[in-house]
Amino acid sequence: MIHEVNCLGLRCPQPIIDISKALATVPAGDSLILLSDDPATWPDLRAWSRMTGNEVHQESQTKFRVTRRIQNVQGAD
Amino acid sequence: MGLIDGNFTSESPLHPRAREVLLDAIDQGWSDPKKLTDQSARARILRDEAIESLAEQLSIRPNEVEVIGEPLLGNYFAIQGLLGPDDTLVYSAVDRKEVFAIAQTRAKKIELPVTISGQISAEHFQNSRSSLYSVFALQVANGETGVVQHLEELLDLVGPARIACDFSSSGPRISLPSRWDSANFDAKSWQGPEGVGVIAIAEGTSWASPFPHIGTARTPQSASLPLTLAAAVALEQWQGEEIQESTRMRAFSTRLRKEITTTIADCDIAGDLDSSLPHITSLSFLYVEGEELLRKLDSAGFAVDSGSACTAENLQPSHVLTAMGVLTHGNIRITLHHGVSESEVTGLISSIEKAVAELRT
Repeated sequence: MIHEVNCLGLRCPQPIIDISKALATVPAGDSLILLSDDPATWPDLRAWSRMTGNEVHQESQTKFRVTRRIQNVQGAD
Repeated sequence: MGLIDGNFTSESPLHPRAREVLLDAIDQGWSDPKKLTDQSARARILRDEAIESLAEQLSIRPNEVEVIGEPLLGNYFAIQGLLGPDDTLVYSAVDRKEVFAIAQTRAKKIELPVTISGQISAEHFQNSRSSLYSVFALQVANGETGVVQHLEELLDLVGPARIACDFSSSGPRISLPSRWDSANFDAKSWQGPEGVGVIAIAEGTSWASPFPHIGTARTPQSASLPLTLAAAVALEQWQGEEIQESTRMRAFSTRLRKEITTTIADCDIAGDLDSSLPHITSLSFLYVEGEELLRKLDSAGFAVDSGSACTAENLQPSHVLTAMGVLTHGNIRITLHHGVSESEVTGLISSIEKAVAELRT
């Protein structure tokens, strides 16, 4: 079962901060589910993905699958 | 009052020379230029001189100029005046909200996407047969990011569509393209007064006032004459300074972008400076709240704008940054004004570095 990070009711950038911290605790290639109803989450997840190399996928209006990158991306932490 | 130290917001005080003229213009230009009295004749001469000056500075003919008292209606006059009932409105995802509002009223509309660098992608419109019956709302430069469109390339792509150019953010920093039908300007873009918009309607263009009206006047003719005079003087003064100032600002913006991206990790800049106005920079910092950053900078003596959701009235992220795919949180927009000093820019850079570091701990 994929672990969920529940950020419902939280405003950006908190969902991005929380998913980033949670993702650092899982092995490369593993996924987490982020729950967020903030309107900035999806656009910011996509930008965050471009900046860090982690993969993001929107499963519903408030549910996002985030996968930790396997290869290092230059400039990403 | 002249330059305000630490002001990096999009607003700036009225140009000092225009402020002087405004006080005199209030004494001289109070009468209705349309009446037959001596005072009205004097006001008419002042109005005509102001319009001729505005036209000359903006490279348009005096008979193409209309001055309005509500600049935000400029887009409506410029766009809606060209649109027939069955025409298609073509606009971009980074256009002003006023343009989106016009689009909501149209049965036929096409919203063009933008690239991550903020350039309008018009390729899929290129082969559209509706081009002949379209009006293209062409935002010359974006006020949030400073990104300037490749005007001539876009005009080639949109073919015979009529062109309504929005110069409200760029002002005369960018020249009119080779082909245009209407254009709108905001005097604030050249350090003129609030509440003065200039619309240009190209000679020979089929344009009809979008508002109910009686008589032949194209616009309500209710713009304040003293403010119009101040706008004309501000433009003359501002144009005289701009060649030197724009070079200084581009150098400051280059430094600002380079130093901040070198010293602060995970900073997303909207658009390349080579394709942007020299005085606007939009920066977004990952894991930082825009409102807190704005307040910290304000406490340090630096006023900036933000496109982050937490700073917006409706708590929505900037539609411009969203359309480009740029990070919307932790966003600040820095606008450089004529006369900004190197020490102010240095202080701003240091304050941003300090504030972002504090907010990330």
